[in-house]
Amino acid sequence: MRGRPLMHTRYQADQALMNTGTKKTLLVVFLLFLTLVPLAVVPGFRFLAQGDWLRLLSEVAIFAIGALGLNILTGLAGQVSLGHAFFMAVGAYTAAWLGAPAGPFFGLGLPIWIWLPAAGIVAALVGVAVGPTAIRVRGLYLAFVTLGLVFVGEYVFRNWTALTGGSQAGRTFPPLEVKLWREEEPLIDFFTPGSWFGVELSAQAKTYYFLAALAILFVVLAKNLQRTKVGRAFQSIRDRDIAAEIMGVNEFRYKLTAFGISSFYAGVAGALFAVFTSRVIPEQWNLLLSVEFIAIILIGGAGVVSGTILGSVFVVILPRLVENFTNWLAGVAQQETGLLAGFADLFVSTGPGNFGFVNTQAGVAPGLSTAQLNQVLFGLLIIGFLIFEPLGLYGIWLRIRNYWKGWPFTY
Amino acid sequence: MTPGMVVLAQEVAGGNEFTRMVVEGLSLGTIYALLAVGFVIIFKATQVINFAHGAIAALGAFVVAGAATILDIPGRWIPDAPPWISWAGAVILAMVAMALIGTGLERLFLRPMVGEELFAVAIVTLGIDIVLRNVTNDFIGQFPRPMGDPFGIEFLDLGPFRVAHTQVLQIVVALIAVGAITMFFRSRLGIAMRATAFDQEAARAQGINVGRIFSVSWGIGAVLATLAGVFISMFPRRSTGVDQATAFFAFRAFPAIIIGGLDSIVGGIVGGLLVGFAESAATVYLTFDFLGSGFAGIVPYVLMLLVLVVRPYGIFGTEEIRRV
Amino acid sequence: MKAKSKWLAIFLVLGLVLAACGDGGGAEETTTTEGGAVDTTEQPTDTTEAMTSTTGGEAMDIATDVGVDLEAGTITVGLLSDLSGVFSALVQVIVTGHEAYWENVNANGGIGGLEVQLNAVDTVYDPATHVQRYEELKDEVVAFGHSTGSPHTVAINEQLQTDGILAIPLTWYSGWTDPAINANLLHHGVPYCIEAMNLIGYIQEQNPDIATVAIASNPGDYGLDSAEGAKIAAAEAGLEVVYDGAGLINAADEATLTEVANGIANSGADVAFVTTSPGAFGSIFGQALAAGYQGIWSGANPSFNPALVGPDSQIAEPLAASSYWSAYTSVWTSDTPGVTEAKELVADRLPQPTSAVFEGFVEASIMHAALQAAYDAGDLTQAGVLNAAKSLDNVDFNGLGPSEAYVGEANDQLQRTSLIFQPDPEGLASGESAGETVLEAEYTSDIAENYVFNEACYALEG
Repeated sequence: MRGRPLMHTRYQADQALMNTGTKKTLLVVFLLFLTLVPLAVVPGFRFLAQGDWLRLLSEVAIFAIGALGLNILTGLAGQVSLGHAFFMAVGAYTAAWLGAPAGPFFGLGLPIWIWLPAAGIVAALVGVAVGPTAIRVRGLYLAFVTLGLVFVGEYVFRNWTALTGGSQAGRTFPPLEVKLWREEEPLIDFFTPGSWFGVELSAQAKTYYFLAALAILFVVLAKNLQRTKVGRAFQSIRDRDIAAEIMGVNEFRYKLTAFGISSFYAGVAGALFAVFTSRVIPEQWNLLLSVEFIAIILIGGAGVVSGTILGSVFVVILPRLVENFTNWLAGVAQQETGLLAGFADLFVSTGPGNFGFVNTQAGVAPGLSTAQLNQVLFGLLIIGFLIFEPLGLYGIWLRIRNYWKGWPFTY
Repeated sequence: MTPGMVVLAQEVAGGNEFTRMVVEGLSLGTIYALLAVGFVIIFKATQVINFAHGAIAALGAFVVAGAATILDIPGRWIPDAPPWISWAGAVILAMVAMALIGTGLERLFLRPMVGEELFAVAIVTLGIDIVLRNVTNDFIGQFPRPMGDPFGIEFLDLGPFRVAHTQVLQIVVALIAVGAITMFFRSRLGIAMRATAFDQEAARAQGINVGRIFSVSWGIGAVLATLAGVFISMFPRRSTGVDQATAFFAFRAFPAIIIGGLDSIVGGIVGGLLVGFAESAATVYLTFDFLGSGFAGIVPYVLMLLVLVVRPYGIFGTEEIRRV
Repeated sequence: MKAKSKWLAIFLVLGLVLAACGDGGGAEETTTTEGGAVDTTEQPTDTTEAMTSTTGGEAMDIATDVGVDLEAGTITVGLLSDLSGVFSALVQVIVTGHEAYWENVNANGGIGGLEVQLNAVDTVYDPATHVQRYEELKDEVVAFGHSTGSPHTVAINEQLQTDGILAIPLTWYSGWTDPAINANLLHHGVPYCIEAMNLIGYIQEQNPDIATVAIASNPGDYGLDSAEGAKIAAAEAGLEVVYDGAGLINAADEATLTEVANGIANSGADVAFVTTSPGAFGSIFGQALAAGYQGIWSGANPSFNPALVGPDSQIAEPLAASSYWSAYTSVWTSDTPGVTEAKELVADRLPQPTSAVFEGFVEASIMHAALQAAYDAGDLTQAGVLNAAKSLDNVDFNGLGPSEAYVGEANDQLQRTSLIFQPDPEGLASGESAGETVLEAEYTSDIAENYVFNEACYALEG
């Protein structure tokens, strides 16, 4: 009925992924936006078509896939895991083992439609194998076990030189291209500029399209999971696990399933990440990477898929924004006068001996470097969102939406 | 010191491998035990898993380094005192400062989270860890900061055992700390803390100021972490002092905590010593080629996984019984 | 209270986004972090001098593509630096050296009147970030003044060759002298493996009775190249390698440091050659000392940091008495014109004397020579600068370091002359030196002299 978008008359309408007209329109607009961005035709966002911004957006897509997995485990099923980096590493090295061309490191040279799913499946199997140790026990034991996994994983990958290239070195990963089977010329390749459907595209644009498409696929899968029996079981475990068990939800089995699914997503994301950055050292799969994913789902909004996407965009693009912001501040501090310049000068240090919280100079000067500032901001955002807005950015969006929905009434 | 003149290698002094391993194990074990006990006190009183323990330890060590070497406090006020008194003064000042910081952290970040889900609170401490670690690392800078302690590189020979003065200090201080904790739990405040740990609501009903208990527990935890941080950064383990990796050291104490039992102080001590000896033994005896490098570093985690399979609540932990 | 904070958070986030979008949506990313510093300290009179000399010299027939703006009169050089990672203390000082050097050059006419501006970005000593930064900068700079880290430079090497851009590695891996790898790279200084040969040769000269050697290092190009050199030197000198810990050290993992220290102590070798980072070296030294080891210590230059023998360091005395090190450039107390001039230029930029700043001067001098040659040839494109650089046959640093050549046989180009020093705690404490007592200003061991260089000592994989 018009004007009553939430009055559903059929079960399918109630269960639909996009259950209001507004959501459907927004989705179409969003997809259109994603498609047009690399073509530099969207006014106001033309800068996004530059190569390095497209790379950032591709990274957002990869992180979104990984974060969706963690969202299923932590947001839907309520289990805290710090081991996401470990499963990403498992996925990445499986992909390398299967898909990289034979050379100084072992590789079978198989095509992408084998190594990408295999990366996910192997990671999921490892997850299912390791899970039972901590899932049997209530509380935060899974966090400790996964923490241990990350460290054990770091040790194994550092020392298993034949697989990973060894500490500080890294190895080759399969190229991002689609082949049918080990033929010479790929069917579609994503790393050289070319033209699709008559449109000239750079390599970064092609990679972006591929990764964005994959991300959308996984988003649909994740959103769908929420309304299935398995998804409902997860949510019941998260909310009241004793009550769930009484109702017949086998807690152990479903926790393990959640762990497996999240590891699958992590494996795929890890494989894509390694292929995308093409030079990954074993030290990269560390606790900080896991924490980044936790930050994504908490900042975005745990349990909500749109929140995860918002979080990924925020977390991946934040360092870039912070850098631009501090550089702008540094420029203001040096070149202008006035209140703003005074504040800028206090905040940014412009040379050795000049006090400031942040050091934007490359030379010797006091203050946090931009990388450290990013980390500090992360930490503060995590704390801030958890204390003030547990629903994260999605919660903020809800407030804005409800404000407008209810205007001019206050509630 | 004439340039170019160097002593050639002599017979390796200092006892055989076994005695060195024992001393190392004891030294490492006391550090883990200090970290574990601090953690357990916080957990018992507030039910919070404190991921920021490592950062607090590093910050504490840095404050000691700063007071002793950069600011020369309290040395500058008592210039005639022997160096170990002024260094002890610096450590005590640092302990007081860190206790205040610990209570401050609890008040600022954890009080608003009372009543929230456990995992949310744990993630808040993870956030605190990130912030604190990065700020501390920025203060420390790229090069390690020496502790400025007067013990130097002297050794004591007790029979076949060759113990560095700093290691003797560690063991003595750890014993004193354990003694102090035991006595504390017999005092009024200590009994109140035990009551809060047992049942928060009932304690409140008895008139105990639970908020104050929380703050005190964080203060004590911070002080113990500081001591541990100082010992990590002294000779011979890290002769150069506290550096950017110190904050990650505490993560190796988590297996000790789990093995001992999350809510048992005795478990923390036993777990810490156990893990310390295991790691030290692994460093000396498990150096096969196929294990590569650094296996001793993950021995604690392997132990933890094994213990979790057999006895999930740790050796001394209280079992949670649930029948559905 | 809670509601207000929420709105504050929202506004802050929006403010950040707007600020960044405003900056990123408009002009290209001209993050000239150094541009400001260089500009504000310019002498007005000098600029006018430079201007007059350029009106004749700013020929319109200079070819340019990227990184050179003839109208604005600037040349942009990129620096891929580790500003917050493991070697940031060193690199920050080196970047300060670059800044001081170019400020001086710009004040004296620049390159045909064109001012050189630096764009230093932070790669956090992470290969993935390094690659990303490279991608960001490659369309904005004419060449890379330095690229920190061996594996990191290897990671961008292929892309450098595809894009035809010049880079100067800020590492001393022997592969940079290897023609199979260095098409776009300019080596400078003594490579790690030759350095090891010089050190072991010198130690043997001073202590002819030594017979055994223990070797330990980080994994990767840095550690393994140095370890390889030590092994070659040991073989040539007739020394037995009684402990081989090459590639076993992981500075972030305590346990590996204890393992290596125990290994060295148990082996009882006469010489311990350890290549790693300074903090890890200090820890290994201390633990080996605790285990009773009393031998001679040495290692690649980045393993040593003067702070190891600083006034509060526990190991200052034993380390100063028992270790030998080499430097790739002159040190603070060297008495050469280049050093004196450089010291004046950086006097107010460095909190304390640090010899590493001369590395920045050396790198900047090489880039200066390349840019000048390219300008003289009328081709300031990326390819033009690359070609000019590769045809330099004598770059002299006025005493800051041994001169370099980039034409001819690899074996002839190979740098074999090291400066040997011992740590100097007293000089460091008094501020007179940067912590080094020079033993030999120009030393080449027989082993290094006779070594025939065909390819990198340690072969990269993958």
